[in-house]
Amino acid sequence: MRSNSFRAGIALLAFTAIPTVQANELNPDISVVLDGYYKQNPTALSHRDEGFGLGHTELSLSAPVDDLFEGRLTAVLEEHDGESEVMLEEAFLQTTAMPWNLSVRGGRFLSQVGYLNSRHLHEDDFVERPAAYRALLGSHYFDTGLRLNLLLPTPFYWQLGAEAFDGNRLSEGEEDIGVYTVNTRFGGDIGDAQSWQAGLSYLHNRQTEGHTEEPAGAETEPAHTHSHDHAHGAGYTGQNLYIADLVWKWSPNGNTRQQQLTLSGEYLYADDLNEYATSDDTHEGWYASAVYQFAPQWSAGARYGQVDLRAVHGDHFHDQSLKESDVMLAWSHSHFSTVRLQYTHQDGEGFDQADNTVMVQYVMSLGAHGAHGF
Amino acid sequence: MDSKRLLLFLTFALLVVPSPATASLRVFACEPEWASLVRQLLPDAAITTATTVWQDPHYIEARPSLIAAMRNADLAVCTGASLEAGWLPTLISRAANRAIRPGQPGLFMAADQVSLHQPHNHVDRSLGDVHPEGDPHLHLDPDKLPQVATALADRLIAIAPEQGRDIQRRLIQWRVQWNLQRAQWRQTAQSLEGMTLVVQHSNFGYLLRWLGVASGPDLEPKPGLPPTAAHLNQLLQDPQLEQAQGILVSSYQDRQPAEWLATRTGLPVLVMPGTVTGAVPTETLAALIDHILTSLKGLNRSEAARHAQVQEEAP
Repeated sequence: MRSNSFRAGIALLAFTAIPTVQANELNPDISVVLDGYYKQNPTALSHRDEGFGLGHTELSLSAPVDDLFEGRLTAVLEEHDGESEVMLEEAFLQTTAMPWNLSVRGGRFLSQVGYLNSRHLHEDDFVERPAAYRALLGSHYFDTGLRLNLLLPTPFYWQLGAEAFDGNRLSEGEEDIGVYTVNTRFGGDIGDAQSWQAGLSYLHNRQTEGHTEEPAGAETEPAHTHSHDHAHGAGYTGQNLYIADLVWKWSPNGNTRQQQLTLSGEYLYADDLNEYATSDDTHEGWYASAVYQFAPQWSAGARYGQVDLRAVHGDHFHDQSLKESDVMLAWSHSHFSTVRLQYTHQDGEGFDQADNTVMVQYVMSLGAHGAHGF
Repeated sequence: MDSKRLLLFLTFALLVVPSPATASLRVFACEPEWASLVRQLLPDAAITTATTVWQDPHYIEARPSLIAAMRNADLAVCTGASLEAGWLPTLISRAANRAIRPGQPGLFMAADQVSLHQPHNHVDRSLGDVHPEGDPHLHLDPDKLPQVATALADRLIAIAPEQGRDIQRRLIQWRVQWNLQRAQWRQTAQSLEGMTLVVQHSNFGYLLRWLGVASGPDLEPKPGLPPTAAHLNQLLQDPQLEQAQGILVSSYQDRQPAEWLATRTGLPVLVMPGTVTGAVPTETLAALIDHILTSLKGLNRSEAARHAQVQEEAP
C-alpha cells in the first residue's frame, strides 16, 4: 500500500463520504477448505485410507440472520473406499443478543466437550485427531441438539455450558435425547507472554445398550468394523465419558505472529460400557502435544497419545490398546495455506492395522476465513 | 465424579465471587492507541487493552482473558476495517455481551469515522492481506485523529451522559493541544519533504503521506506476508533504493530483514514503536508522533552529514 503521490493524504483532507466497499453485504460469507493428502501405509483407528486421498473438504456459509441471530451451514465431503459422502457437520443458529451473557445454539453443531472437539478439523496441528478422540468421539462429535452457555461475571474467564443431543451420531438408539453434556472452562493470562485454558467436560450417553449387537460379525477384526462406520459415530462408547483438558501457550512478548509454543493435553475416561460391564471395564486415553511455531511460516510439533479400550463382544470384552507418536513439520505460506509432513508410529494390541506411516497433507482455505478460537 | 456435587460447588463459587466495581466505565481497547485516547477523554475509565506495542494487531488470539474482558466491558474501541478480522469476531461471539456487537453503540470502530486510504473494489488473496475497506493503520494520521477523537467523545457521552460535560471539556483541551502540535509537525514536515524510506507493511503509511515522505520499497513481498530472501534480493535491484534515506520498521517486527538490507546498502535502520507504549517518550499519540518526527529529522541530519563527508572525500 504505497502511493506515488505524497500529497494524497493532504488532498484527502476534504471530507469525502465513507466509501462503501464491503462487497457482499447481503450475501453470506462463503468459505471452502480443501484438504488432501498422501499416506504411505494404512493405520489403526484411522479415518484416512492409504495412498492419495481427500480428507475433510468443507463448504461453509455463515452470516448474521438479523440483529438477534446468526447462522452457519457447513457441509463436509469425504471419500472412503471410492464412495463420496456428504455430511452436514454444522447447520445451526446462534443467538447474539441474549441478556446476562447467555448464548443459545440450536441445530446441528460440534459438541463443546474437551478442547479439540469444538474446533474444526482444518485448525488442527496434526493430520488426524489423537487416537483417544478417534476411538471415543469418532474424531469429532457433532449432532443435532441444543446448547446453552453462560459466561460468568468473573475477572477471569469462566464459562459454563450444557448441551442436549439426539445422540444417534455417537451411537444408535431409541432415545429422543440420547446425549447430554455439561462443560466448564477457565482461563487467563500470565503476564504478556503466556496464556492458558483448562476445561472439564462430562458426556452422558443414554444409548450404549444398542451398541452390544454390532460387533457380532466383527469378532475377528473389530478395528476394521469401526473404520467402516467411522462417519456414523464413535467405535467405543460408555454411558459416562469424562474429559479434562489443559492448554498453555507462550510467545515472546505475546507476539504470536513471530513465535509461539503451544502445549496441550487431554485425558478421556469412559465407564458403564453396557449392561455386562463391570467396574473394571473402562476405556481410557490421553495425549500430550507440543507445537512450536518457530517462524511466521513454519511450525514443528510432536504428539504422544495412547488409548486403552475394552471392545464389546456380546456379553464379554476384549482388550485393545494403541500407543501413537507423531512428529510433524508444517509450512504456512500465508494464513490461508498449509502444507504438512508428518510421521506416525503406532504400537497396537488387538489392532491388525497398527503401523508406521509417512503422510503429506495440504489444507487450503478459500474465501471468507472465520476467526479462530484459542 | 458426582455431577450434582459439581453443580453445587459451581453455584457456591458463583455466589462468593465479588461482583466487579460498577463505578467507572469499563472499556475494552483493541489497540493501545485507542486506550490512550479513551484515557485522555475519560481518565477514570477502567481500560483493558488487548494488544501491546510488541504485538502484531493482525495476529492476536481470541484468548480466554480477552473474552472475559470483553464480557465485562461497557464499550469496545477498535480500529475496524478488517484489521482485527482474525480475532475480534470470535471475541464478540464468545463474550455474548449484548451491548458490544456490530451496530450497537457499545462497539466503536475508528475506521468507520474517517475516509481510508486506498479502498479496493476488488481484492483477492493473491494480492496478499489487502483490506477491501482500505488501509486500517490510520492511528498516526494528524488530520484523521481529531475526527476519531470527536466521534469517540460523542460515543462516550452517549454511554456515560452524566460525565458528558467533563468529556466535552477534555475533548476541547485535547483538540487545542493537538492543533498546536500539528502546526509544529507541519513545520518539521517541510524539512523532511522529499525523503524516501524503505518500509515494512503500511504501519506508518498515513503519517508518512501527511509528512510528504515517500514510502519506498516494502520489505514485505505482499501486504501481510513476511519478507523472504528472494524478495529482499530483488529489492537490492530496486532503483528507488538509491533515493532511500533509511529503513523504517515497527518494534514488533522481526529486525533481521531490515538489518540484512542495512548491511548491504549502508542505510540506517529506524525501529519505531508502532503505537503508544505507556512510557515516556511515547506515552500518548501526540508524543509518539513527536518522537517519530524527531527520529526522522535525525535521519535527515546523519544523511546530510554522510553526504557532506562523501563530498569532502571525493576531491
